[in-house]
Amino acid sequence: MINMHIRSGLSFLVVLGALAAPLPASADETCNSPHTTALIKGQEDYVHVWVLGVKGLGDESDKLVTVDVNPASKDYAKVVHSLSVGGRGEAHHGGFTDDRRHLWAGRLDDNKIFVFDIGTDPAQPKLVNTIADFADKTGFVGPHTFYALPGRMLVQGLSNTRDHGGRTGMVVYNNKGEFVARYEMPTGEHNGVAADGYGYDIGINPQKNALLTSSFTGWNNYMMDFGKLVQDAEAMKHFGATMVMWDLKAMKPQKVMSVPGAPLEIRWSLRDGDNWALTAAALTSKLVLIKQDAAGEWQAKTVADIGDPAKIPLPVDISITADAKGLWVNTFMDGKTRYFDISNPEAPKQVYEKVIGAQVNMVSQSWDGKRVYFTSSLLANWDKRDAADEQFLKLYHWDGKELTEQFALDFYKLQLGRAHHMKFSARPKQGAAHDAATQARLSRR
Amino acid sequence: MPADWRIRAVACVLLAALDALHTSGAIAAASLEPTSGAPRQQFVPPAPGTYALPPIQQVPQGRVVDIDGRERAFWRYTTGRVTLLSFMYTYCVDPVGCPLAFATLNTVRERLLARADLARRVQLVSLSFDPGNDDPQTMRRYAGDLAAHNSAVRWHFLTTRSVEALKPLLDGLGQDVSVELDDRGKPTRVLSHMMKVFLIDASGRVREIYSTAFLLSEVLLNDIETLLLE
Repeated sequence: MINMHIRSGLSFLVVLGALAAPLPASADETCNSPHTTALIKGQEDYVHVWVLGVKGLGDESDKLVTVDVNPASKDYAKVVHSLSVGGRGEAHHGGFTDDRRHLWAGRLDDNKIFVFDIGTDPAQPKLVNTIADFADKTGFVGPHTFYALPGRMLVQGLSNTRDHGGRTGMVVYNNKGEFVARYEMPTGEHNGVAADGYGYDIGINPQKNALLTSSFTGWNNYMMDFGKLVQDAEAMKHFGATMVMWDLKAMKPQKVMSVPGAPLEIRWSLRDGDNWALTAAALTSKLVLIKQDAAGEWQAKTVADIGDPAKIPLPVDISITADAKGLWVNTFMDGKTRYFDISNPEAPKQVYEKVIGAQVNMVSQSWDGKRVYFTSSLLANWDKRDAADEQFLKLYHWDGKELTEQFALDFYKLQLGRAHHMKFSARPKQGAAHDAATQARLSRR
Repeated sequence: MPADWRIRAVACVLLAALDALHTSGAIAAASLEPTSGAPRQQFVPPAPGTYALPPIQQVPQGRVVDIDGRERAFWRYTTGRVTLLSFMYTYCVDPVGCPLAFATLNTVRERLLARADLARRVQLVSLSFDPGNDDPQTMRRYAGDLAAHNSAVRWHFLTTRSVEALKPLLDGLGQDVSVELDDRGKPTRVLSHMMKVFLIDASGRVREIYSTAFLLSEVLLNDIETLLLE
């Protein structure tokens, strides 16, 4: 959050100095919406992990697990809070509201969206709202990405209620959780490209009025057993093969780009003025660059292989560094994380790799890039089986050359479940106006 | 000239200058990168009336106080015309906070004044975060000539009687604010808040919300015109 300065005695030079201060960051620590405030530039205090409940394990429920990650804390590397939401509905991703007071987290099977109050006491999140009519209200299924807009939350669906295939759309809610609007992903022919109507991730570049979406697959596939899925030739035809550039203001598709192989996470370069984003195509194991050409038109092109595509390493989550010079890419099947030098985004080069576990999915890094967190679960029915079904949160330190493990929490031994999406938080340094004590402070000032 | 006014004026002049330089392209993008917190528009926005702005939420009820000390219902300032509303406090000097909102609203005002067909259908509202400091007299000094009753584009500078009166407006609009504490945990005179400007239709419904990255005067004008074309 931006700090204000003292009222009196402010000179021209101070104002000038303030103007010369570094840009407010245009993105969160890893991948949040650039419209989320209160970025954590220093040490994060907590990591919140959205966890899939497992039958026969603990209370069997999906839950939000809070881990203390501040090395100065007596509870460092310990689970300090676990909030079960009831049932198992394929817990998946989450995202903060613009003011970072609330974390929205979704379930891909029963379509419930849970809203947690993180701002009041991040050590003890509270469930304050449950949106249970996402599918009924919108016709979409699988609330996946939660992307903050000013005063609103943009939610990307994965599927639909008609056939549970991949055609889907986006939904806007206000921060109170009230429905505002829905937008279908484009279908049909668009300048020679067949728009598949699929969705997955959302990424926004406000300077360009650019909303970029990617495409995955529908409920029929993501809820299917993975071993069965890959043997089902017909099912394997139903994966996304497009990315769409939208006019953000108008919420209208501007260009559909062919990107075969299920392009997943979208990471815009966070450098001011940059006009490019990267994604990883899961099935073709390619890094794809989306960038404006000399004429200002958006183009998608493959710029690197991720591992050996012939071995189908299945790239999953990616995380871009704040300076847009490095990119972590996780590959689920071999449990590796791979670091790419993207100083030239037209030609990324892998410069490091390390096995994190038998399987690895999500990666989130601190703003300075020195701490990198990993979790293990992809989807309940896609995770590996038996001994390879490791479920963890791990923290590594990155010195630019080597990842060094700091702690590993076994989410099965802790009776928690499958560890999926991570979000950071920090203890508040201010009192909020909605808090009674702060109201009193404000009144006394 | 009061200190508050000088601070705001300096910030605004600098921001306006920076904005002008952005627009003219007189400064290379690379040289602006470390110095500007103001948003930059690198696109041609869609034309007014070619897109929709779905209602986001209703403006909450409450009581506010104008620069003449009159207490009135908040709806008087958020209905009847298209409204741009911004929370602020008079001594805020964060370059991408209140001064940026002020500078942008002022730019919008000037451009509206050149559009007689639009000007009288739009109003601006600045509402203080800090009723303890920003009483009607302070708001009057802050407003200066901008609050003139005979201006085609009315700009209302408002405060509240108390934090208790302010709170439902903040909560209803989803505007955060917090008091910065010093090292000993004591409240300072610094307020932290996310900068937001609310676009409200004549029926009192919020139709767009702009945070720093979106606060582009040309886009605001197009959005205003889009609502007026409905």
